Amino acid sequence: MTHAHEDPRVTAYALGELPPEERAAFEAELAKSELLRDELEQVEGTLEALRDEIRAQPKDALDEARRSRIRAALPQRRRRARTLVVTAVTATAMAAGALLFFQTAGRERDAAEVAHVSPKLALDEEKNMPVRAATVAASAASAPGQAPGDDEHKGKRLDREAYDAFQDNPFVEVATDPRSTFSVDVDTASYSLMRRHLNEGRLPPKGAVRIEEMINYFAYSYPEPEAERPFSVSAEVGAAPWASGHRLLKLGLKGKHVAPADVPGTNLVFLIDTSGSMSDENKLPLLKRAFSLLVQQLDAVDRVSIVTYAGSAGMVLGPTPGNDKAAILGAFDRLDAGGSTNGGAGIQLAYKLAAEQMIRGGINRVVLATDGDFNVGMTSQSDLVDLVEQKAKSGVFLSVLGFGSGNYNDSTMEKLADKGNGNYAYIDTLNEAKKVLVEQATGTLMTIAKDVKIQVEFNPAEVSAFRLIGYENRVLAHRDFNDDKKDAGEIGADHTVTALYELVPVGGAAGVPGTDPLKYQRPGAPTGSAVKGELGTVKLRYKLPSSNESQLLEVVVRDSARPESGDFRFAAAVAELGMLLRDSPHKGSSSFADVIRLASSSELDERRRELVELARKAEQLRTRER
Amino acid sequence: MQEADARWVLEALSRYEAALLRYATSLVGRSLAADVVQDTFLELCRAKREEVQGHVAAWLFRVCKHRALDLGRKQRRLRSLEEADVEEAPDSGPVNKLERKEAATRVGAALARLPEREREALTLKLDAGLSYKEIAEVMGLTPSNVGFILHTAVKRVQRELGGEVKPTARVAGRTS
Repeated sequence: MTHAHEDPRVTAYALGELPPEERAAFEAELAKSELLRDELEQVEGTLEALRDEIRAQPKDALDEARRSRIRAALPQRRRRARTLVVTAVTATAMAAGALLFFQTAGRERDAAEVAHVSPKLALDEEKNMPVRAATVAASAASAPGQAPGDDEHKGKRLDREAYDAFQDNPFVEVATDPRSTFSVDVDTASYSLMRRHLNEGRLPPKGAVRIEEMINYFAYSYPEPEAERPFSVSAEVGAAPWASGHRLLKLGLKGKHVAPADVPGTNLVFLIDTSGSMSDENKLPLLKRAFSLLVQQLDAVDRVSIVTYAGSAGMVLGPTPGNDKAAILGAFDRLDAGGSTNGGAGIQLAYKLAAEQMIRGGINRVVLATDGDFNVGMTSQSDLVDLVEQKAKSGVFLSVLGFGSGNYNDSTMEKLADKGNGNYAYIDTLNEAKKVLVEQATGTLMTIAKDVKIQVEFNPAEVSAFRLIGYENRVLAHRDFNDDKKDAGEIGADHTVTALYELVPVGGAAGVPGTDPLKYQRPGAPTGSAVKGELGTVKLRYKLPSSNESQLLEVVVRDSARPESGDFRFAAAVAELGMLLRDSPHKGSSSFADVIRLASSSELDERRRELVELARKAEQLRTRER
Repeated sequence: MQEADARWVLEALSRYEAALLRYATSLVGRSLAADVVQDTFLELCRAKREEVQGHVAAWLFRVCKHRALDLGRKQRRLRSLEEADVEEAPDSGPVNKLERKEAATRVGAALARLPEREREALTLKLDAGLSYKEIAEVMGLTPSNVGFILHTAVKRVQRELGGEVKPTARVAGRTS
């Protein structure tokens, strides 16, 4: 036992900070030891004296000037100017029956304004219900493009889904703020979510449409990175199809290829939601098939564990070598949905197993599969996010796979994956499972660079205003770019990340939408570097997965008169579709016909053809709506 | 909902303003503390509520600390440019001296003599009423680190005060 004088439990006890289980043990010791009782009294006396001292200090308050500055910045005041927009979002989201949780996020963090009801409030009831019969008869194996189910159900089942609503990034004048800073995002969930909505015969809620995730769903051809670099950076500039006179800058990052043989080992802990709501055909049964696909790729050096959470957390399969397929697949087969969700306890067990089996230099990951509720038990969303963030620092990353519909909680899942150095995909069909877990397995699982941040500085001699398309919830403060403590997104092996900027060139006929010229100042003095020809400079900061120090990469971007590439046209088409679905204020002359024309002018593979199909569906739905 | 958001910030303001001001004062001195606290609440106005909710106190004190350190660094840089000397450990700025002078009581003096970290943890606990976990978040430590630091701090103050704190009297006080 610790000597009483050095026992921090004494102070913790006096302050009421001992957890209940330790408290009982401590009190038992107290009863036995006079020394310990003395010690406690001493400590309590000292604490009391200190408390008195601290409380005797003058009661300071802020002065009126500073106070009124704060009052001026209060959330509601800032929002007033946008009431119209917010109301519009609300109305649409309600129409879709999906309003549980919404917020607006502007271009900068500081424009982010929030108004929401906690998603938890609305979720409890359903999760506590006994196992529901499968209500969607969608066959897991159905090709993308069809998801049967009766119409009556669809409207109702949506009402528990939670999406964060947000505003499109606005145009920013280069004269007043030449920089744009954001974190990369390789998530693709928004695209498959949108597909599910359209295939089920309705337009997706605007909050579910994240344009960068739609763009990043597709692969584009970018050069392989130079040796030593984890990824390559390239840029292409062309016409913005929806706004005459505007240019479009497409930035592309490509993660290096890692051959499966070069991965020292894969340590996966599947953390599976087996709560009652997971029994639907497009959830647990689909999930079992999806994971079986992934497991086929593992071998003897790899480890697989399975943890479930439903009522209580349990280990279904202890760490098992990857080549023992019979044991692993058998365990998946035995999974059964029933009970309520306690994501918190399951996550802790999963991380514990992952840490115990840690493969140095390998892939160490908790793969969370759920329909997105964590509503029973100890965990608040922020605790959960904290836990995941902390574990990511220890080298165990998180992948989040979303399943099903009905009470889908998009916002929590995206946040968890974001903080857990992970990625977030939505699995609606077996084809999607193949894409995420087989074709892109190394990318999904093997992180090659973390905390990847992008900062673009535009040249006032060429660009008068810019707008980052998508990445609304990834925008960073400019000062965070060089701050290695600020978390940002990860890039996996073979991943491509694409970002589009809409640019308003200097001197063109097109002005900056919505702003008047300044009355009191002229734009600052350009440096000698601000020569014609350079649109701007792209700076990237990233860390290697095992490092805490970032490295810097810089690329200068120039406009060119070259015709746009097929990839460029396709990415522009995806952005246009996203803007139409979001009913973006910046959509300009966008139209579904335009999306179809643009996309079709690029070389279409099966996946890209699907986008064209989805655009057609969206057009029909929109026409019907009006 | 919008009303509630504003009210939420105002509630945090009235609840933590005084403790934040004292905390900021202990970090950067009185002259800068008000700016630091003002900036902290401006940041809160801009923050996403769901990122802050559930740990407002820890969030406020952490932001306050970062802001204070930022400002403090700038000030020190300015000063060292102007005076080109300052042979002080980075942690014992003029603030500490000031506080030492100001400490009117023996307990106050003992508190002021504590190592920076210990005094910070004690202030966060006893003044701001943060939990170990929240203090851990603010100071970038684990909760058990915090427990250890606080215990060490309490023992140090106890030693400094010698027999001044009468445990028996306290016991009597507690039961009355």
